[in-house]
Amino acid sequence: MSSDALKKRKSKVLRNEGGTPEMKRGRADGDQQDVRVYHEEVELDGRDPQQDFLQYKETCESLANLMSEIQELKANGAKDGCAEVEKKRMQSCIHFMNLKKLNRLAHMRLKKGRDQTHEAKQKVDVLHLQLQNLLYEVMHLQKEISKCLEFKSKHEEIDLVSEEEFYQEAPPEISRPQLTKNDPHQLTLARLDWELEQRKRLAEKYKESLASKETIQKSIEVKKEHLRSLQPGLNAIMQASLPVQEYLSMPFEQTQKQTEIARHLPPPLYVLFVQANAYGQACDKNLIVSISGDVDEAKALSKPPEDSQDDESDSDAEEEQEKTKRRRPTAGGQLDDKRREMLKRHPLSLGIDLKCKGNYFCVLHVLVGKNGSVLHLYFYYLMNLNIMTVKTKVSTSTDLSTAISAGELLKSDTLLSCLYTSDQGRETPNPANRYQFDKVGIISFGDYVEELGHPYMWVQNLGGLHFPISSNSLSASHMENTMKLLRGRVQSRLALHRQFASLEHSIIPISSECQHLFPAKIISRLARWTTITYQEYLELPYTRHVTEAGLAKETDLYFMGVVERGTARLNAAVVLSPRYPEISPLFSLSLSWKGERSGRTDDNLRAMESEVNVFKSELQGPRPGHQLLTNQFARLCVCLDVYLETEGQDDSVEGPREFPREKMCLRTVRGPNRLKPFKYNHPQGFFSHR
Amino acid sequence: MCRGGQAAEEKRLVASKIHLPESSGLVLVTSHSFALVRSFPPLFEFWFLCFCFGVLCRVRLKGARRVCVSSMGPVELLHMSVFSQSFSPCGRFLAAGNNYGEIAVFSLSAALSPDSTALNQKPVLTFTAHEGPVFSLLSTDCHLLSAGNGEISAWSWSELTKKNVKPLWTRRPNYKSSLEIPEINSMTINSRDNSLVVGGGDNNIHVMDLENGVFKTVLQGHSDYVHCVTVREREAEILSGGEDGAVRVWDSRTGQCVHCIEVYKYEVCARPQYGKWISCVTTDSDWMLCGGGPSLSLWHLRSLSPTSIFNLSGCQRQAAFHQDLILTVGEGAFVSHCLLGGEVKAQIPCTPQSLNTLQLNNNSTEHRVLTVGGSSDHIDVFTNLSYRAFSLRF
Repeated sequence: MSSDALKKRKSKVLRNEGGTPEMKRGRADGDQQDVRVYHEEVELDGRDPQQDFLQYKETCESLANLMSEIQELKANGAKDGCAEVEKKRMQSCIHFMNLKKLNRLAHMRLKKGRDQTHEAKQKVDVLHLQLQNLLYEVMHLQKEISKCLEFKSKHEEIDLVSEEEFYQEAPPEISRPQLTKNDPHQLTLARLDWELEQRKRLAEKYKESLASKETIQKSIEVKKEHLRSLQPGLNAIMQASLPVQEYLSMPFEQTQKQTEIARHLPPPLYVLFVQANAYGQACDKNLIVSISGDVDEAKALSKPPEDSQDDESDSDAEEEQEKTKRRRPTAGGQLDDKRREMLKRHPLSLGIDLKCKGNYFCVLHVLVGKNGSVLHLYFYYLMNLNIMTVKTKVSTSTDLSTAISAGELLKSDTLLSCLYTSDQGRETPNPANRYQFDKVGIISFGDYVEELGHPYMWVQNLGGLHFPISSNSLSASHMENTMKLLRGRVQSRLALHRQFASLEHSIIPISSECQHLFPAKIISRLARWTTITYQEYLELPYTRHVTEAGLAKETDLYFMGVVERGTARLNAAVVLSPRYPEISPLFSLSLSWKGERSGRTDDNLRAMESEVNVFKSELQGPRPGHQLLTNQFARLCVCLDVYLETEGQDDSVEGPREFPREKMCLRTVRGPNRLKPFKYNHPQGFFSHR
Repeated sequence: MCRGGQAAEEKRLVASKIHLPESSGLVLVTSHSFALVRSFPPLFEFWFLCFCFGVLCRVRLKGARRVCVSSMGPVELLHMSVFSQSFSPCGRFLAAGNNYGEIAVFSLSAALSPDSTALNQKPVLTFTAHEGPVFSLLSTDCHLLSAGNGEISAWSWSELTKKNVKPLWTRRPNYKSSLEIPEINSMTINSRDNSLVVGGGDNNIHVMDLENGVFKTVLQGHSDYVHCVTVREREAEILSGGEDGAVRVWDSRTGQCVHCIEVYKYEVCARPQYGKWISCVTTDSDWMLCGGGPSLSLWHLRSLSPTSIFNLSGCQRQAAFHQDLILTVGEGAFVSHCLLGGEVKAQIPCTPQSLNTLQLNNNSTEHRVLTVGGSSDHIDVFTNLSYRAFSLRF
């Protein structure tokens, strides 16, 4: 063990000796502190840190060894001041010194390392700054380059002649082909030069043309003056020729005047005017066309020709705007004004007078005296709504106030309703109007119909106004058809009117042509004929099936007829379509005799209804069937006779019958629902079943 | 004459039908092509011809298709009555005859399917079968027999379902009177000897052999026209009810009248305020139901005495036994359910104001319905006896 310790000590000494030379040298070399520090730094450069670390480890190890040896000695009971221990302590002191030295060196090395790092960092920063400067410069330059590239010269907007043309037309001193052929820049410059040259020339030409125009205008003025001076002379000749015209009954002047006025008609009315005139001349001598209204106002309207005819809507909008600016304070009044403006009629209106007599006269001969009636139609054009309306009036030579129930028949608002299917003329046919109405708060055009007239579909068609719903055909194709319909309508209304007059007096007129439809003796009599309202009709218990089937519309006319025989009373509620006789009247029956029964509950009454409603074509009489209604009533009376006479076959009932059998019947009942024979067979005069 | 008028109206209807839905597009196209073609005269002529031909053909095509659909205007529909019904042997179709001589064929399977629309309630086929009203319809195992004004026509069900309408044969009983053709009010099949029993306006009952189409027997005895006939198979008896108020029982083998019950003479069922006619007779083994002017009553045939009287207002036009119920229709907008004991159990409201016909579909289990028709173009369908499910419409 002692040898071990010795070895260690020896090695320590050896190392100490190895480590000391520099220290000794340092101490020996530097007397002053500065110098010594300098030395130590130099020493530091010369040493290897790895070596120092190993040395440090060794020193620590030997120090630990020494400590443990001392402890061992002490434990073995060596004295405090024993030489062995003392020696070892010395050795450890040297080791401590060594450690201290190493520690200092380490600190110095650290500081040096930090300094070096800092220096390097600063260098990097500088370089980075430089790099950024350069990058910025590059970017700036690129921007400048692109700006240059994007530069547009004014000359690019000028439409130049093509290159070939340029070389062909331009003189060589401008084109300089040898120079410009290869250099596009020079070429462009040359072309621009040429353009300038040409423009100069054209400007000169323009000036010349202006001058010539002025001279021509002057000559025109002179000529106009000359023509104007001719006018009074011509007028004088015209005046002088008037008596001659009258004498020869050639109304050139009048037609000329009318066409002169017609020029100021709005386009739809003009179309109608032309068509009606043409139709009147060609096919219908009883049609007279006239124009009424304020011509001056119409002229004023069409004064600025570019504006009023083409962009009517635009100018209207402007007018409206002006109006709103002027009259802002009263909102209600303003709206009223707007409405009035919107519903404004063209100052000119077209009148068509349709004389109705002649063709169908013989048909009505029995009912009517000699009579010529005229249907007046007044056509208006609503400028802002772009629709046409019509007002009607019927004038007759005889007094028509005799029939009370006929009051509705010739009223202007029902006379022409449904001339074509479901054309009631209450709503505007132009879909665009809805938006216009919304703007000024008009709910329905129907409220203004009284004042403005009805905008029937056929009126628009006659005027050549086409809206998406209407069929796409020309005004001319509607003319004939519509005129015929109009005439037919008035005639049917007049016929009805006369029929009503006699029905009110409980007379059912039967013309000779229809005599064969009915037996000679009809005992049932019409007792009453009155008008009822739509509401009253709806409330009748025995008309519900008609209403439910949608056959009773608000536009129809409603009547109540009462047929009586003895104690029996037959009520007939009648729906009369405005398109009568095309759509036949519809009867619903209710019989009060020995209790109340109606067509709903009694099969025989139902059969009577179908006798007049379904088998109506037999009753139409001569075309166009104006006698349908009276014939239906006559048949109803016959059927009531049959009904009453064949009722109550039971022999067990005592006493005389109220209605003796007078009609000849083959069989009184037939079929599972025991129908009575309602069908009259003409020459033989008996009744049979259908 | 009236037919012609209807046809003309119909044509107009068709024309408007063609134009209305297409007018906007079609007219635009045609006017455009018109303008294009007008500039070349020879071409124009050719084009115009083609165009006219096209329009004509279109009209004709549409017209042809309309044959299958009802040709009635609204007024005609309003005055329509349904007199007779018959289910097809397969039970999937219902034929109904109306007062205009038309027969409509409805598809029950379509109308009863869960996704049926209003269109399925319209007939799949409507055709004019006779001139007068179709008072009676009857289905044999493959034919539909229809009775019109004095004539009987047979139609093949299989052809009808293919929409071919051509009668297989038409026969006319030997009538004595010539002034007015007597109507046929009722028909029934006597399956015992495969004959058709026909009762109608000439007061007689004609029996036709279905094998060869010969009318072999005439049963004479009624003093007024015959409303209804029915067959008692087991006893080989024919029963008939007439306007004269008698129910006559005939032996179908000898053609002799066995019994004559004058119902109106029995005080329990007489109703002099209505009259004496018998408009419905139906039998079930020993029991007979009859009614009309007199109250509907249940009779025991062996003792020939009324056992129960049903207190129903109005005259009954058709009655049927159904399980332990009696179903009956007549004047009044309801189907009456009666118990054999004489009680009126229920009256189920329906659409027509008075009813002419009632049919139970026993031919098919999945389409087991009750249908009633009367003074309306509606035929009410009852899937459950206690309420009206929907209506088939002409």
